[in-house]
Amino acid sequence: MEQAEKKKSGMTKGILWIVLLMVAVIQIFPLVWLVDFSLASSNELFTSGLLIIPKTIQWGNYVKAFVDGHFLLYLKNSILINGLAVILVVIISIMAAFACYRMRWKLSGFVKMLLLMGLMIPIHATLLPNYKIYSMLGLTDTIWALLLPYVAFSLPQALFLMTSFMESIPVELEEAAVMDGCGIYRIIFQIITPMLKSSIATVAIMTFLNNWNEFMMASTYLNSPKWKTLPFSVLEFTGQYSSNYAVQFAVMALTAAPAVLVYILLNKHITKGVAMGAVKG
Amino acid sequence: MKRKMVSVMLATAMLVTMLAGCGSGDGGAAGSAGGSTAGDAAGNGDTSGSTDGNGVSDGEQITLKLFSNLPDRKNGQGLVEQTIIDEYMVENPNVTIEVEALDEEAYKTKFKAYSMYGMPDVVSIWGQPAFLDEVVAANVLAELNAEDYTDYKFVEGSLDGFTYDGKLYGLPRNTDIAVFYYNQKMFDDNGWTIPETYDDLLALADEINAVGITPVAMDGGDGWPLAVYLSDLLYQIVGNDYADIVSDAFADSDFSAPEITEAVELLKQAADAKLFQNGYDSQDYGTAMNLFTNGQAAMFYMGSWETSMATNEDIPEDIRENIRVFTMPAVEGGKAASTDIAAWNGGGYAVSANSEVQGEAVKFLNYMYQPDKLSKYGWENGVGLSAQDQGDYLTGSETELQKQIIDILNASTSLSGTPINDCGPSTFKATIESAIQNVSNGTTTVDDFLSIIGTSCQ
Amino acid sequence: MKKLYSNKLVILSLVLPGVLLFVFAILAPICLSVYYGFTDYSGMGSYQMIGFENYRNLFTDKTFGIALRNSLLLAVGFICIQHPLALITAAVLDKLGGRGENFFRCVYFIPNVISVAVIAYLWKFIYNPDFGLLNNILKAFGGRGDTNWFDSKTAIWAVLIVLIWHGFGWGMLIYYTGIKNIDPVLYEAATIDGANQITTFLKITLPLMKPVIQVNVTMAVISALKQMETVYLLTNGGPGNSTQFTANYLYQQAFKAFRYGYGNAIGVVFIIICLAVTVGLNKVFEEPEERKLKKRKRIRAKAKGVS
Repeated sequence: MEQAEKKKSGMTKGILWIVLLMVAVIQIFPLVWLVDFSLASSNELFTSGLLIIPKTIQWGNYVKAFVDGHFLLYLKNSILINGLAVILVVIISIMAAFACYRMRWKLSGFVKMLLLMGLMIPIHATLLPNYKIYSMLGLTDTIWALLLPYVAFSLPQALFLMTSFMESIPVELEEAAVMDGCGIYRIIFQIITPMLKSSIATVAIMTFLNNWNEFMMASTYLNSPKWKTLPFSVLEFTGQYSSNYAVQFAVMALTAAPAVLVYILLNKHITKGVAMGAVKG
Repeated sequence: MKRKMVSVMLATAMLVTMLAGCGSGDGGAAGSAGGSTAGDAAGNGDTSGSTDGNGVSDGEQITLKLFSNLPDRKNGQGLVEQTIIDEYMVENPNVTIEVEALDEEAYKTKFKAYSMYGMPDVVSIWGQPAFLDEVVAANVLAELNAEDYTDYKFVEGSLDGFTYDGKLYGLPRNTDIAVFYYNQKMFDDNGWTIPETYDDLLALADEINAVGITPVAMDGGDGWPLAVYLSDLLYQIVGNDYADIVSDAFADSDFSAPEITEAVELLKQAADAKLFQNGYDSQDYGTAMNLFTNGQAAMFYMGSWETSMATNEDIPEDIRENIRVFTMPAVEGGKAASTDIAAWNGGGYAVSANSEVQGEAVKFLNYMYQPDKLSKYGWENGVGLSAQDQGDYLTGSETELQKQIIDILNASTSLSGTPINDCGPSTFKATIESAIQNVSNGTTTVDDFLSIIGTSCQ
Repeated sequence: MKKLYSNKLVILSLVLPGVLLFVFAILAPICLSVYYGFTDYSGMGSYQMIGFENYRNLFTDKTFGIALRNSLLLAVGFICIQHPLALITAAVLDKLGGRGENFFRCVYFIPNVISVAVIAYLWKFIYNPDFGLLNNILKAFGGRGDTNWFDSKTAIWAVLIVLIWHGFGWGMLIYYTGIKNIDPVLYEAATIDGANQITTFLKITLPLMKPVIQVNVTMAVISALKQMETVYLLTNGGPGNSTQFTANYLYQQAFKAFRYGYGNAIGVVFIIICLAVTVGLNKVFEEPEERKLKKRKRIRAKAKGVS
């Protein structure tokens, strides 16, 4: 009886594994295919096999992708813009959350609602008017053209998360601080902020993931390579190397690499962050 | 079989490697790789910053911004443009020319965004109503002095599209001819012959499909090549009445003229006969061209500016050396002679009206158009035909493809002028280029198509 | 304390950055959109106020209808295909335990961290009828492998598959977290009661996951409405307008057809629709919320009773 049970549970485990492996293959195989094709030469691509075994591995594709795709410059821009956006979002959302949820004033409810409205506004609906505004102010082709909308549209979610975490911080702590003569700013940045560590991580990860992928704004507002972000490597290559598919594959693989590497490295933290954000949100 | 096995194994191996990396959350190797990339990125930023600082030398430093529709800077027209830019910067050390280059479709979109507020100094333009009417009306482009160009040997009539009320706003770069590029070796090997009539072409499609090759690679995803094809057919049907019929249609917002209807039906017949590749209506320029340049398609319908395929090192030798052309075959009952071809002066350059360095921009423009620059280099690089007289630069060592193109032009008895999609306002252009996909693939009827495009230019 | 906590200046300094950002990056552009929505502005030169003309045109604009229909299709696809799959996978994953669990969770999420630009171009190649992965797979299984995935009738489904694939990990992770939050005592009770896996899933997991599912469904509908990037790169709305989406359409109208005014009018309607849908869904889900709370308590009581 017991043995039969064990056998049965073993079988179920087996089936579970098979199902999960199949899903994993579906999710990952396209990426394997991408890497494989990126190492072949262009005229080898027209095959009917699933994968190609390149006659010689074409590392040159990656060299082209790396150099002509301005990989390092664009990566730097992406990291810089996203990093700055994350920092600004965190600071501004903590301040606003504190003011709206802890402090007493008449309009707190209204302001909170106003800021949360942003959750419902589609970011792309602001593309046209913002282009006009930024052009008039001379902000196009500057880092501000991206930072402003990125921060503004990440703020509502961040505010939402911050407040829901802030609710769990006991008021007594602050009262003690006030007794000691702390001002509001010190309370926020020296007492509250350290306690919000996990929610800051969540906000940072959500903001980063949301904006890392964004390129519609970038392609509309930016002109020179100075601030262009990583997706541009891919976009530019389809024109630049229109007759060399393999290089296009290489630039895609290269562009995807940093995010995947970082994710694999930090996957536990990121998963936790996303999960926390998702459940709260 | 063995190959398949190996490829399956390879797949598994790669899968395992990726997954393994995933399982062990804190792999040291991956960590250091990530770290060094970030470090390099910062380093790179520093260097680029310092070069900017060092750039200043004697004289007034001028930066010219050039916005170009030629993203491939290593082949064809893009290479020619870049060569001239480099030469100009050597001759004028105080001038730096920054190039922003985008694909045609992306270019046009961005151009319109630019025209709302501040244009780069020198831009690519098209001397066609759909592109230029609104732009000129908004005074975005600087007026050029037509008398400057009397010695530049522009082909007669080529400046017309760029001229409004007697004022010149741009200069044409090319004379474009719509052609079928074909792979001669493939034709010979299979015993196919160049079609004399449109019916021959459709019959040929069956033969080519029968051996599992795509007859014609068509960039249908963009819409405009289909519209050029349609215009080409219309021109074959009506001959020199083309311009009148088109302008009448626009005047009345009515495209139901029997000749236009016939042309649309012929286009649809081609799609029905599987003349174009599977999924042509969603594939872009690069995809279509790659079908042809990788030997997957026997023909490629495109403008003469792609003549440089013959010298593009990325294309396998046995294909690029066998590329030849023919023009749209005669349509039964059509009025056009076989030497009447669909050709126009489209692409060119202009200078922005609100450029802060307009003087320098015009100087650079004129430099580019010196007959021994754009025109000569273009010819030497096998880039189709310029809008200037290239007779002086014939060397006899041109590619076969070039010789053929020049022969076609020299033998031509009459040219069609602007394709239909570029003759109306940009709303019309946007509408026809998406509606033409639907009519060719049978989603909308011919009559509906004609009424849709008619409505759009009211 | 009270005095400190109601210092107007301090409050102002704290909320000002957020409010300014909101005003500058969200409110001002919306107002500008409303204004230009009433004009025939082409994007340059002069323009005239034309009242509600743009909005009247919008109601008869077939393409706008297609865009909305596509959003609806996409939302249905998310809800009927992506979410059940994600939920079931999450439940299966939850049963696995050990290192395998973390491993799969990690793998499923990978497509999510890859930029849309890469995803769109990658799938463009995967769908390529001539050397694309999908047709090669069909060939490997003995099919003809010449399917045109972007046929005007099926293109929208091709787009849908990409979006489902890309967002799968995200949905899975959220459900997974939700399932992890379920009290294991309930499962033990059910096992003792002799319920098999499927019954447990239907009777315990699913009802308890309802709030998570509701949030996810709302998000799915909204993201279907907001869809732009993938479509812009994958098909740009073609062939014809068969895969057109609102955001893409307004972009095309403004920057391709030179109808900046009309594009803004679309933007305004787009915002109104998004607001209405969010509020509407919240209303729909809010009312049974109270009842559900009670129900959850009942289930818990029942489960306890069983044990």
